[in-house]
Amino acid sequence: MTTQIPDSYHVLEFPYTRTTGPVVGPFLTALRDGKILGSRIDGKVYCPPLEYHPTTAAAVESELVEVGPSGTILSWTWVAHPTPKHPLSESFAFALIQLDGADTPLAHAVKAASSEAISTGARVTAQWREECVGAITDVYFVPEVDAEQQKIEPGEGDVIITEHLISLTISEPLHPHRRRFAEGLLEGKIIGQRSPASGKLYVPGRGYDPMERIRLDQSAEEEVADVGTVVGFTEINPVQYHGQKERKPYIRCSILLDGSDQPIQGIDIRHIGVDDFRVGMRLKAVWKAPEDRYIEDLDNRYGTIPDTVVERWDPTGEPDVEPDMLKEHTI
Amino acid sequence: MAVPCAVVGLGQTKYSRRRDDVSLDGLVREAALRALEDAGADFSHLDAIVIGKAPDALEGVMMPELSLCDALGAIGKPIYRVHTAGSVGASTAVSAATLVESGLFNTVLTVGYEKQAEGNATWTLSGGRSGGQGAGGTFAPWMRSYIQQSGAPDYIGWMVAVKDRLNALKNPYAHLQIDDISIEKVKDSAMLWEPIRFLESCPSSDGAAAMVLTNEEGARKSARPAAWVISHAKRTEFSQFPGRDPVRPQAGVECSKALYKKAGITNPRKQIDAAELYVPFSWYEPMWLEGHDIAEIGEGWKMTDEGATEIGGDFPVNPSGGVLSSNPIGASGMIRCLEAANQVRGTAGEYQVEGAKTAVGHAYGGAAQYFAMWLVASEMNPDFS
Repeated sequence: MTTQIPDSYHVLEFPYTRTTGPVVGPFLTALRDGKILGSRIDGKVYCPPLEYHPTTAAAVESELVEVGPSGTILSWTWVAHPTPKHPLSESFAFALIQLDGADTPLAHAVKAASSEAISTGARVTAQWREECVGAITDVYFVPEVDAEQQKIEPGEGDVIITEHLISLTISEPLHPHRRRFAEGLLEGKIIGQRSPASGKLYVPGRGYDPMERIRLDQSAEEEVADVGTVVGFTEINPVQYHGQKERKPYIRCSILLDGSDQPIQGIDIRHIGVDDFRVGMRLKAVWKAPEDRYIEDLDNRYGTIPDTVVERWDPTGEPDVEPDMLKEHTI
Repeated sequence: MAVPCAVVGLGQTKYSRRRDDVSLDGLVREAALRALEDAGADFSHLDAIVIGKAPDALEGVMMPELSLCDALGAIGKPIYRVHTAGSVGASTAVSAATLVESGLFNTVLTVGYEKQAEGNATWTLSGGRSGGQGAGGTFAPWMRSYIQQSGAPDYIGWMVAVKDRLNALKNPYAHLQIDDISIEKVKDSAMLWEPIRFLESCPSSDGAAAMVLTNEEGARKSARPAAWVISHAKRTEFSQFPGRDPVRPQAGVECSKALYKKAGITNPRKQIDAAELYVPFSWYEPMWLEGHDIAEIGEGWKMTDEGATEIGGDFPVNPSGGVLSSNPIGASGMIRCLEAANQVRGTAGEYQVEGAKTAVGHAYGGAAQYFAMWLVASEMNPDFS
């Protein structure tokens, strides 16, 4: 049974941009074009360059000067098993490299055959990748003896905005009460939790009563009707952000299931027009055939009845409930 | 007895869709330096820094308080970061005021910011999922409930949208500058989250706002007249529980009650000269007028209808143009507090409310579950009797 309910899995991913500003912008532009710059502040050269004075926070009259491309390792650590997010795909060293002409070290990646080739005091040289975009990863370092002469063609324009696809994969087991809620849905049942303290029936249960602050376990669970009343809705004209699959307006509503005390939120309505949709309307779940039901996008926080188990919600044909009767449940 | 807290420096950036000429650090610093300049001070005068922004996922910069230290002159000094969703700007100002009032620090810099163009707010507020409802989708059903319960006519929402954009035309820092704004234009704009239209919604802005807060001695030395923080309050409630009224949340009611009580305000509409309320969607003007006991329940929209909330009305709301005209989320609440101070100092320029001596700054956040407000006055000990 439990094999049918997957762990919660979600990829949180967005192509964020970074506005580089007056110091990092020229640094990245020069890097793309084959030069490493540092900023000269009170006679010291900082690489990477800084926008503000590192000890007084004063504005920096930044004079950008070329440093490197070779330098000396001040400290290092060996990365034996890189992940896809590391700058190099094979074992490498992260090192603090004091570039020639700079007074501060730059943290960067050193490509080497083995950790034997890396030592504090070792000399390394920057190597540019074939395609440079104006990012710190346009270069990596190698032992000075292995460095190749490179001719870098300058790119076009200044690096003002950079883009970074930042991605976080979140996977976690469902809490026991969430798993039982999901199992119930596969059986065509909506499981809620009734608090013995307040008498309130929560759908889905949260594992606790938020009013009385007591824990709710399996003994508090009961089946809830799959018919209820619309207590709130909106029609959303979808904003086209990264990962958005919706293209046309859709209704998102909250339904107070009969006998429960808290509406279930986030119910999708696709087959009733917004002009025909009303607060107070009575709706009933139309379940998918048992063999067609599945759970794939349920997590421990966002609680709704997914359209992978309930095909749609149809009007029952009963008269609407008066809005005054729903005042305590507006959501 | 708390140490009296004075606002002596105000700093804002020009709000815009995207500031592509400054880094995130540079943007935050720009507001901070302007606030210090306004106060006639520099970083050396500061004893602590308190910053606030909305969720980190808006820009994808985790724990920005660590990297902002040198841009904000916090080297060797304590820096605090506050987070209470959309209300954070006002919560941050209140937290900073509390540090001065405690006597722990003499002079505190507080900054709120957002560089929204680095990410996407609707993506963030949809948990990074397709088919999310964002902020508009969360608030729209409650605005519908308000309209239904109060019997307010449709055009009230359009009126607020026009009034705040007309005010913005007087504010050089405001993001939206819509010269030909009109009721027709608002009601013909696209429906985004039924019943809320595009021009009834806030923009997405890059920007930062900062204030310098200090004690009595600091206020005496300051270059500018002070706005005195007379009272402040924060309240919180769950986003969802049986019996919750999301249209007029109890936490909001309690927050303003506490604010008025501490200040000695018994008739807010009469005793307060201007208010900067957090109105990201037009209907929230009448909703907060009722939600904070400025109008009777069901009567808030009539204040809008009668023009009471315009500059020149008896209770001007958002003379600066409000969140509807500029919305760098983490700064938006701080801008409300800052503009309240701006009014009582008499430095609001073209959008100055004549003779304003007492003003309120306000913000709400989350699912209308976090509230933060402050009340400022031109006198350290105002007499409301």
